[in-house]
Amino acid sequence: MAAGSQKVSLQANIAYKKYRSNFLKKGIAIALFSGLTYGMYTALITMAMTKGVWADWYGDNKAKLSAFVIAYVIAALGNAINDTCSAVWAILYSIVKGKFGDFVRCVKSTPGRMILLAALLGGPIAGTAYVISLQMAGSIVVPISALCPAIAAILSRILFKQELNKRMMVGIAICVFASFLIGSTSISGSSASANTVVGIIIAVIAALGWGLEGCLAGYGSAMVDPQIGICIRQVTSGIANLFILVPFFSLLAGDIGLSVNLLTQAVTSGAAMPWFILSGLFTVITFTAWYAGNSMCGAGLGTACNGTYAFFGPLFCLLLLGIYGGMPGWSLPSVAWVGAVIMTFGIFVISMNPLDLLRKNKEKEEEVETYDAA
Amino acid sequence: MMPLNYAILKYFTKVEEACADDVINALKDTYGNFKALNKKDVITALMTAEANGLIEETRFELDNNNELKVYYHAHEEGAATINKYIKD
Repeated sequence: MAAGSQKVSLQANIAYKKYRSNFLKKGIAIALFSGLTYGMYTALITMAMTKGVWADWYGDNKAKLSAFVIAYVIAALGNAINDTCSAVWAILYSIVKGKFGDFVRCVKSTPGRMILLAALLGGPIAGTAYVISLQMAGSIVVPISALCPAIAAILSRILFKQELNKRMMVGIAICVFASFLIGSTSISGSSASANTVVGIIIAVIAALGWGLEGCLAGYGSAMVDPQIGICIRQVTSGIANLFILVPFFSLLAGDIGLSVNLLTQAVTSGAAMPWFILSGLFTVITFTAWYAGNSMCGAGLGTACNGTYAFFGPLFCLLLLGIYGGMPGWSLPSVAWVGAVIMTFGIFVISMNPLDLLRKNKEKEEEVETYDAA
Repeated sequence: MMPLNYAILKYFTKVEEACADDVINALKDTYGNFKALNKKDVITALMTAEANGLIEETRFELDNNNELKVYYHAHEEGAATINKYIKD
């Protein structure tokens, strides 16, 4: 800072200190909130897909859907409905905040188009992979998909020649160890199934998509207002899921008309739609908080705080589906909980040096002291 | 007309330094009816731009009403990035 020898009063110093620390604290709180609400979104979308017509598709299957349709078309449809609901919430919110006009203007700009491309990677590809893996292997995939900061760090090194130092590599090793710990509980247990293993592999695709999204969107969202950025993301994702991905999977299943048929049944399912409307709301909240948190306290610390969803995801699944819904199979083995906590720590180590937190505070204090002395 | 956030960033490529009040005064003719053109939101936008390395802080002072004013400017690299992605 080019403060020079300017004299500033003690009162100004106090006001300045408060101004600085309030912003950082607000950024950390928002980023942590994004991890918490991501856990809620995970539980709500999973709950939605157990209600109404979804209960039949994933249960008795009186509709006689093929294994492919259930694994891929239905999961993509769930993600499409969730993202479309969240797009409606995002547009409504932008109207309330008087930012809808800017949303339209941003889409036409270069940073807006970068977010749009990131949304295609994160929404239809990673989002659908996440829902497929959740349906195949349960909440055990949540910490696996949370590997995205590790993958983002590796991709940034390969694509943009960004730094990948020893601390980051140690963090990645911690994450890989934790994912092995979590994965081993399902693979080696008596309940091991091919579905679980495939689900975990598909969760890695989700992590890869979100890692790529993080690389691209990070740059675009430096200039676009976070609320507008999320509006672009959710509208792109909702449209691409509903009009490209679901029909594409239906075509692969041998009947493109299936997408319209299943969509009609899903949106008229009165028991499931309220849960999708809620999960859509939490999708907007969590992604807005993630983008805003990253912008306010830096992508490193922001991503570290958001990474706590590795823990909050399974927790809210247990609370909503296991305890509130009375459904079996949502309590993870204790080893997996330990793994989730270790992975959260590993994400933190990749994203930032914990000592930097102390160092930054000290630097700020020294800056203010310099003012005092001047 | 460009989005408000872009206009705020672009403004810093045209002035030596500015605080939130300066930004509001400069943009109120065009963006006066925007809800987000208020001191709180503009300060958040400035601090976010700073966190992203587009602008940097130059000094601070208390005004006659004892309100803190923090001044920022776009350094060479920040101005180049803003001009690269946000065209006039």
